[in-house]
Amino acid sequence: MIEIKDLTVIIDGKIIIEDINLNIEDGEIVAIVGPNGGGKTTLIKTLLGFITPSSGVVYIDGKNPKGFIKESKVGYLPQKSSYEKDFPVSALDVVMFGLINEKIPKSQKIRKAMEYMKYVGMEGFENYPFGRLSGGQQQRVMIARALISQPKLLILDEPSTGIDVVAQENFYEFLKKINQDRGITVIMVSHDVGVVANYVHKVAGLNRKLHFFGKPKDFFQTNVLNQLYGSDVNLLIHSPECITCQHFMPDKLLEGIKH
Amino acid sequence: MNILELLTTDFILNAVIGGLILAILLSVLSLFIYVKKWSFINVGISHAAFGGLAIGYIAGISPSITGSIFAVIVGILIGFLSKRGKFHEDISIGILLSFSMALGVILISFSNNYNSDLFSFLFGNILTITREDITTLGIFTVIAFAFLYVYFKKLLYCCFDEEVAKVSGVKTDFLYYSLIVLMAIATVLSIKLVGSILASAMMILPAATSSQIFWHYRSIVVFSIIISIFTVVTGIFISFEFNLPSGSTIVMVYSVIFFVITAVKRFLK
Ligand SMILES: Nc1ncnc2c1ncn2[C@@H]1O[C@H](COP(=O)(O)OP(=O)(O)O)[C@@H](O)[C@H]1O
Ligand SMILES: [Mg+2]
Repeated sequence: MIEIKDLTVIIDGKIIIEDINLNIEDGEIVAIVGPNGGGKTTLIKTLLGFITPSSGVVYIDGKNPKGFIKESKVGYLPQKSSYEKDFPVSALDVVMFGLINEKIPKSQKIRKAMEYMKYVGMEGFENYPFGRLSGGQQQRVMIARALISQPKLLILDEPSTGIDVVAQENFYEFLKKINQDRGITVIMVSHDVGVVANYVHKVAGLNRKLHFFGKPKDFFQTNVLNQLYGSDVNLLIHSPECITCQHFMPDKLLEGIKH
Repeated sequence: MNILELLTTDFILNAVIGGLILAILLSVLSLFIYVKKWSFINVGISHAAFGGLAIGYIAGISPSITGSIFAVIVGILIGFLSKRGKFHEDISIGILLSFSMALGVILISFSNNYNSDLFSFLFGNILTITREDITTLGIFTVIAFAFLYVYFKKLLYCCFDEEVAKVSGVKTDFLYYSLIVLMAIATVLSIKLVGSILASAMMILPAATSSQIFWHYRSIVVFSIIISIFTVVTGIFISFEFNLPSGSTIVMVYSVIFFVITAVKRFLK
């Protein structure tokens, strides 16, 4: 699905991403993790064609990102904690934005949008001002908007911002369900490695360089965490599976583990 | 003169027709300025337009044309800089606008009717609205509405979140600059009625007022059109009756409505 070869991104003379190689298969859920400023958002914007690589190439289904996006096959959720409170649209309007290039009658668009509101558990909020929904509710509506165009690829930049931990786990469950229902490839950026590890097929540890790419359990077994986070380690581990592998982890990391 | 007599007077009729077309056009555009918080682009454009108008006026070319060219260029420039997030840092824009304004005043000072001409450019003069002005305004409004009719939802989507809209396949750059061009030309065309200083107010006040009462864009647009029509017509008659500058009177009526609505809203809370 996605092929990244020798990718380097330099912005204003600063190397943000250095020499990354990465392959993501169809139908995988991949989490991109790493410290703040590690280049996660930059990588995603490169995948979306907003940023042109300084060197190297990115292919999505054999096309360059701009070409792939033109076919409206990507659902994208940007890194944003909340939207303008007074923006004059309803939740349903926002979902219908996702159908903006579809040439179907309006009544059909409305019906479809209602269906997706229900799918993300936001039934009953159709005519509610979007800006006055909570952060988590806005995320759900934005996801419905991203899904309604039936994308092959879903890209989420820190989707859990502004959602509490319990709601986060529900949210990741929900993503897993979408992935299983429709075989959509999901790429998401996340801060909480511990939580996300239970729901994804692969983890990419990014801090300028790609320090790790593989299965979550291998991520926790290597000392890559030290490399990736340095002394900044402050992880929240929830899964019992991971607690059993704690003794494989660097000491510094153990100090950061709560729960 | 009473209102009926006024209406049969040619220039007042021109002013009212021109004012009504403008009221509708600016109301719809004001929605986008409101959601984009674009008042700074708007103010910039009207300052720049002033210099352009003066050049045409002195050179004997149609001021609407020279003014529009100036306004469009400056609008695109500000739009470009603000898109890169550099507008507020960019002092050159501020200097460019002051330069354009100063140039306009100096050029107009060469005219024989220095005081009255400058006054009309700055504050609007309904007596100067001609048949040709109305024709130009009418044609432009038809084009603008055709554009808005086709692209309304997409424009709204871009204002909501440009990157997300782009990923949905919307041609965001095209829409962004088209909107700026529309705003620029609309500003220039409204200068005869409301003057250069207050032209931007006419594009900010409608949606700003309506959004005090309504939250959904459809209601905001409809209510903006209604109050704008009321305000422009009332303003024209008051300004004519009491021999006041039309632009200032219209904006005064608008501000009163805005404050009344805001106060009532506070009171009801
Ligand atoms: N447009 C930009 N101009 C200059 N520097 C940028 C820009 N975007 C990102 N950066 C820099 O790139 C680095 C990575 O940022 P980002 O990709 O947002 O990291 P993350 O999403 O992992 O927190 C940061 O050091 C940031 O300062
Ligand atoms: Mg980021």
